[in-house]
Amino acid sequence: MFKWLRGNQTGLEKIFADFGQMLEDGRHVFDAAANAIVGGTNPDTVKDDLYATDRRINRVEQEIRRAIVVHLTVADRADVPVCLALMSLVKDAERIGDYAKNMLEVAFYRPDFNHDGAVQHLVELKDRASRALAKMRNLVESQDETQARAFIADVDAMLSDCDDHVDRLLSSPDQGTHAVAEALTYRYIKRVLAHALNIVSAIVMPLDKLDYFDERPEDRE
Amino acid sequence: MNATTLRPGERRAMPPWARLVITVGLLYVFLVAIKLMESSFKLMGGGSAGSLFQGIESPFAGVMVGVLGTVLVQSSSVTTATIVALVGSGQIGLTAAVPMIMGANIGTTVTNTLVSIGSVRRSGEFRRAFACATMHDFFNYLCVIVFLPLELATGFLSRTAVWLSGLLTSAGTQGASFKSPIKTAVKAGGKLVQEQVESVGLEGKTLAVTLLVLAIGLIFVCLHNITQQMKALLAARIEAGLNAALARSGLVGIAVGIVVTVAVQSSSITTSLLVPLCAAGILTLDNALPVTLGANIGTTVTALLASLAAESTAGLSIALVHVLFNLSGAVCFFPFPFMRRIPVTLARRLAVLATRNKLWILVYVGVMFVVVPLIGVFVIG
Repeated sequence: MFKWLRGNQTGLEKIFADFGQMLEDGRHVFDAAANAIVGGTNPDTVKDDLYATDRRINRVEQEIRRAIVVHLTVADRADVPVCLALMSLVKDAERIGDYAKNMLEVAFYRPDFNHDGAVQHLVELKDRASRALAKMRNLVESQDETQARAFIADVDAMLSDCDDHVDRLLSSPDQGTHAVAEALTYRYIKRVLAHALNIVSAIVMPLDKLDYFDERPEDRE
Repeated sequence: MNATTLRPGERRAMPPWARLVITVGLLYVFLVAIKLMESSFKLMGGGSAGSLFQGIESPFAGVMVGVLGTVLVQSSSVTTATIVALVGSGQIGLTAAVPMIMGANIGTTVTNTLVSIGSVRRSGEFRRAFACATMHDFFNYLCVIVFLPLELATGFLSRTAVWLSGLLTSAGTQGASFKSPIKTAVKAGGKLVQEQVESVGLEGKTLAVTLLVLAIGLIFVCLHNITQQMKALLAARIEAGLNAALARSGLVGIAVGIVVTVAVQSSSITTSLLVPLCAAGILTLDNALPVTLGANIGTTVTALLASLAAESTAGLSIALVHVLFNLSGAVCFFPFPFMRRIPVTLARRLAVLATRNKLWILVYVGVMFVVVPLIGVFVIG
């Protein structure tokens, strides 16, 4: 009876469950778009599913925002920081869906990355990024600070890698269409990872440092 | 550095069973307080105590007594419980009490109107919040405008309530002389407290006033703490209900309003929860109205509970009048879209005026909840 009185989930648990679903959907659209751009998947076959999933991500984002307002109205003030953090993090999760759509748009140009081992590097990066997105979902659930710091270090390395490749492409004398597609791909993967980093940073960072995480590395200590 | 922001806040959680035990205990003390109030009114014998409620002849003045009493104590539960005690002890008649119960319904709406004023500096937010709050005021005023003349002409509320209370009490005592264990326990508790007060040498009017003050104090404390305990116990359910009400209109909203209000024993809590949701724009007025109607129905449980302690069936009858009145309001307004639109439109228009010129807030609250009730009580009454 007591369980019935309390309900199966507290309001915040429900919000976290919905947020977790958003992150899972984010990984799904990223995988679909990345496979279309560097994995050889026909973009036409993933388009409808990707767009539908992105719409679901957007809908869940709004539902979470509404649920946060309701939670803050009903629950005690102790949950204010976590609610404010979630209000910011759902935006990061939503942006992952947007970048996946951008990646798919690039995929429709059928870029050719078969030069200087570019495709192999992109495939490796895509796989690492996908694993990171899966790990992000688990970290939000477990709130393991040690694992979160390891994740941040790993993603940091990937972000630098993306920057290096974009710099290389910018300074390269070969400025063909495929270089643009390659630069955009690195750029979009970087943005996806940066949003993932922002989400995980909330496990180890105070509320006021969210979004400014990558500006002062000493804050991470 | 341990600075995670993704963890819910720490709170001292009391086990649910403890909260339930405390709530049951508080309910018992609440009923004992009603009993003490009845005893006090009997000792006064129609004198000064409850004088705000006594000697009111005009039905309009009766409504205004209910409004003023509720505005003063900021709780329709206290007012309706007092009216139940007065009727139960025979100090006022059922017919005279009906308008007072209607007035209590109006008076209770001032709380969420005051809550909405909190966002007065942010005009868009305030417009939505004030409309949400005053929609409840207008709905309850409209119910009185519709049902008070009808009640005066036909007595449909009081007659039905008397018939129902007769039915309920005869069903409870069928075939044998059955004594309600709740009434017996409450009577024993009331007697014990009264004896303790008498033992310090108080008697007559002094005893009556002391008992009355004690009873009112206990009612306040009990209702406040029941609200706190039940809100903590049912927070997740309340939240789920409100989330459901955001998306859907209609019967779901009414059900949410009833359940939340019965749980927390306060329609003001329910309707005040709606104000920030409307202010934020995530709850529309159309979806908030059913929850408000549900809150009106749910709040009648307090009077029904109070009637458990009442000496005569008249106490139950007036509690049932409260139930029937609010049910009639919902049935009269809710099923018909053009009827539903009346309080919503009036509230929207007033909110637009109040947003343009803040003086309207003062005029509205002052006239509706202070000036008119004072005229009703002290000039007409």
